Amino acid sequence: MTPLDHYPTIDLGPLMKGLVIGGLGIFHVFLAQFAIGGGMLLCYLQWRHMQGVCRLARRFTDDYFKLLVLVSFVLGAVTGVAMWFTSIQISPRTIGTMVHEFHWVWATEWTFFCLEVVAGYLFYRYGPRLPDRTRLQLLVLYAFASWMSLFWINGILSWQLTPGGWLENHNVWAGFFNPGFLPSLIFRTISAAAIAALAACTLVNAVPGFTREERQSLVAVCARPLVFMLAMPLVGAWYLGTMPADSRGWATGGSVPMTLFLTMAVGSSTLIGLYAVLAILRQRLYVNGATASLLLALAFVATAGGEFVREGVRKPFTIREYLYSNSIARDGVADLRRRGSTTDDPYPLRDQADYPNEQLVLGAKVFRAQCSVCHTLDGMNAIAELAATWSIDQRRLNIAQLQRTKPFMPPFAGTPAEVEAIVQLIGWRHAGRPADWALSEDPAVLAQIERWLEEAGTGPGNARLALGARRQ
Amino acid sequence: MNTLFPLGLPAATAFYLCLYLATLVVHLIFMHYVLAGSIYLAFGRLMGRARCQACSWQAILVDWLPFATGLAITAGVGPLLFVQILYGREFATANLLLSHRWMAILPVLIVCFYLLYLQKSAWIARRAWAWRSVVAAIACAGFLFIAWSWTENHLLMLDQAAWPGIYAAGSLRYESAAVLPRLAAWCFLAFPSLAIELAWQGRLLDRLDEPAAAGMQVLGLSPVRRLAVTALCGWAGTLLASWAYWPSIPDAARAAITGPLGGPWLAVVAVGLVIQIASWGGAFFSDRLARGQLIVMTAAWVATLLGVAVVRETIRLAAVDLAIGGQLHQQALGIGGLPVFLVFAVLNAVAIGWCIRTVRGQVTTGSEG
Ligand code: HEC
Ligand code: HEM
Repeated sequence: MTPLDHYPTIDLGPLMKGLVIGGLGIFHVFLAQFAIGGGMLLCYLQWRHMQGVCRLARRFTDDYFKLLVLVSFVLGAVTGVAMWFTSIQISPRTIGTMVHEFHWVWATEWTFFCLEVVAGYLFYRYGPRLPDRTRLQLLVLYAFASWMSLFWINGILSWQLTPGGWLENHNVWAGFFNPGFLPSLIFRTISAAAIAALAACTLVNAVPGFTREERQSLVAVCARPLVFMLAMPLVGAWYLGTMPADSRGWATGGSVPMTLFLTMAVGSSTLIGLYAVLAILRQRLYVNGATASLLLALAFVATAGGEFVREGVRKPFTIREYLYSNSIARDGVADLRRRGSTTDDPYPLRDQADYPNEQLVLGAKVFRAQCSVCHTLDGMNAIAELAATWSIDQRRLNIAQLQRTKPFMPPFAGTPAEVEAIVQLIGWRHAGRPADWALSEDPAVLAQIERWLEEAGTGPGNARLALGARRQ
Repeated sequence: MNTLFPLGLPAATAFYLCLYLATLVVHLIFMHYVLAGSIYLAFGRLMGRARCQACSWQAILVDWLPFATGLAITAGVGPLLFVQILYGREFATANLLLSHRWMAILPVLIVCFYLLYLQKSAWIARRAWAWRSVVAAIACAGFLFIAWSWTENHLLMLDQAAWPGIYAAGSLRYESAAVLPRLAAWCFLAFPSLAIELAWQGRLLDRLDEPAAAGMQVLGLSPVRRLAVTALCGWAGTLLASWAYWPSIPDAARAAITGPLGGPWLAVVAVGLVIQIASWGGAFFSDRLARGQLIVMTAAWVATLLGVAVVRETIRLAAVDLAIGGQLHQQALGIGGLPVFLVFAVLNAVAIGWCIRTVRGQVTTGSEG
């Protein structure tokens, strides 16, 4: 793998990037889980109907399926493509690596996607006219196909956080069946069942034509999958257990936003679970429209929290121990320390004319290549602000030893001259961007930076963190 | 570059190219239905209520466009995967340079998709007729926008020299004389496809066998003749647009198209085109479309699409550097998983076939739904 590929970086700040990928991701995951859980629930309803124990099920199945098709076929499918396109916008190298390493897995998933679309559409269009047996067969195929797409995608997504044995042998199946694969597959399946159950309860109350008793009997059936939520704490703990120690640390107190998101996810799921358990214990499982919508909204919050945590705890990597968040290969840092991170960059700066000297232009290019995924120059998480109170040598030291400054930052992957360029850039911006700015080329300074760089090494900071944790 | 496509290419590259082209052709088949179908409907709707209601093709389109769109999207995922294996760097770069402009196709796609469902809803049936024209026009404009975006993105992929300049300017546009004629060629080419697809749908729904009742004529043309005119005008437009596009193709690519690499494929396109034009001409004059005729035409059509896809690819092969890419393709081929894909591809194809057969067997009448 090359140390760094140069792409034309887009100008969204990191907040926007995070919100776009996070926001879209949540939306898509929620819809996809609704479709997957919905498929399973419909099989169950159709089966109950054929057993003769739920005479309303057939009619409700048709209503529910219309919703499933209109919402998840259209939005689910397009947001799926949108996830792909957005990933390219945010980090072409990450998605490029995922596609490259797992292309046969993606291709396999696609064949299931095709089956899902055909089986689903046939049921949507002809379902009301088909005999029960065929209906069940179509629904089973539909549900199986949509769950299988979760199966395949889940392997790739969990690989990003816990690549496991793949790091040693680059075997596709070692990466696919990684330590996080099973807990996250089970966890997502349970979430899917819960979301679909809540959506069904909402729908039972929303469609006209059922009496109160009929609603009650339908809700009693539709809400059953919520029981599986009882297993969530256990599966969740298992999943946390497979995470790298530093990632787990951030989600459980180490990083305020990550901890907040995790709390959000756990809190919302607990509320839903408690409600379901209480209702079941009291043998009176009736959920009215308002409650069902509220619970569904809570499920959305839980999904949101979970997805933000999943995106966030991988820092400083997008693929653990392999590719840093700024698209620099872990193994490429040493090389870039010699060659420089901007040497081969064909893209000029958009505001190149605004800089008084070449060193500052270099600084801005280094910033763009190495820092701009997470920082802005003077907006959200602006480096000039963060380093405002530091002396110039402090800036040099802390940037040269970036992974020690904060372990969720990657190591600096450039030459001493590039460190100095970025230090000058911070100073220049801090001074209000004067029209004249002297070059800083003192060989003694560069030699000192070089020593600092060597001292910090080329590995990530989390190695030290793990050591520290063990010492405690 | 001096051997018939794909024989002279490195094995791994050729392998992925073939998969890419096979999946792309499937995308084209459905995408053409959506693109030409929405244009057909948008113009058809302008002819007023009585004529629209007489036109069985418009009824079929209203009925089937949503599902066809779903299929076009699903079928687009295959080539989307392989284009990234083949030209990942170029594809991502073009995406990033166009940025929001490129991403806009997604909300547009969602809106168009829902408009297509709206078009067949009970809600619109209760509204004044003009609403249908408006909805059809917006959906059509949306699909044209999407087609334009794919064309612009594709051409930008091929023009590496332009990348730094476009980035520096931050313009989110790729202005090139090639975009419009190429887009026009795609749009016109979609009509012959639409005609054949509608012909099949009409046959399956038993609408082509009976002689055209006077009530089914629109603008004095029977259903079969309307399809023939659609296909023939589509071909005329395609040829005209290709002629306009030709001068903007770089010399190296033109040589590749007419040389050993693409030449024979260009000949396939030409033969397929002649067969289609002759068959449609015959159908127009006899005012009938026999099953055998349609089968021959369909075979010629698929061959033409494949030929077009290969010729389109030779333009790209002449523009990109395969030295770096070729290595990546070789590496990719070394990654496991191909057998798993093949097994599930077969199983799922069988399952899809089973679904369609079973449902067809059990649903005997009509097509409402
Ligand atoms: C993976 C994302 C990421 C990358 C890449 C990254 N940073 Fe950071 N950086 C952070 C986060 C998160 C913080 C913490 C911000 C806070 O505390 O508010 C931070 C903090 C900082 C700080 C303040 C540290 C402190 O102790 O207060 C500086 C200075 C800094 N970064 C500079 C840089 C520079 C220079 C680069 C590029 C060479 C860079 N960062 C790359 C995520 C990143
Ligand atoms: C329904 C709306 C769509 C329309 C009208 C449309 C139209 C087009 C057109 C005109 C091209 C050819 C571009 C050229 O060669 O100049 C194309 C190519 C392509 N389309 Fe679609 N498309 C649609 C949806 C999609 C979707 C949703 C996807 C992805 C899932 C997709 C994937 C592709 C791919 C991968 C290519 C090949 C690109 C390349 O090789 O450079 N399309 N499409």
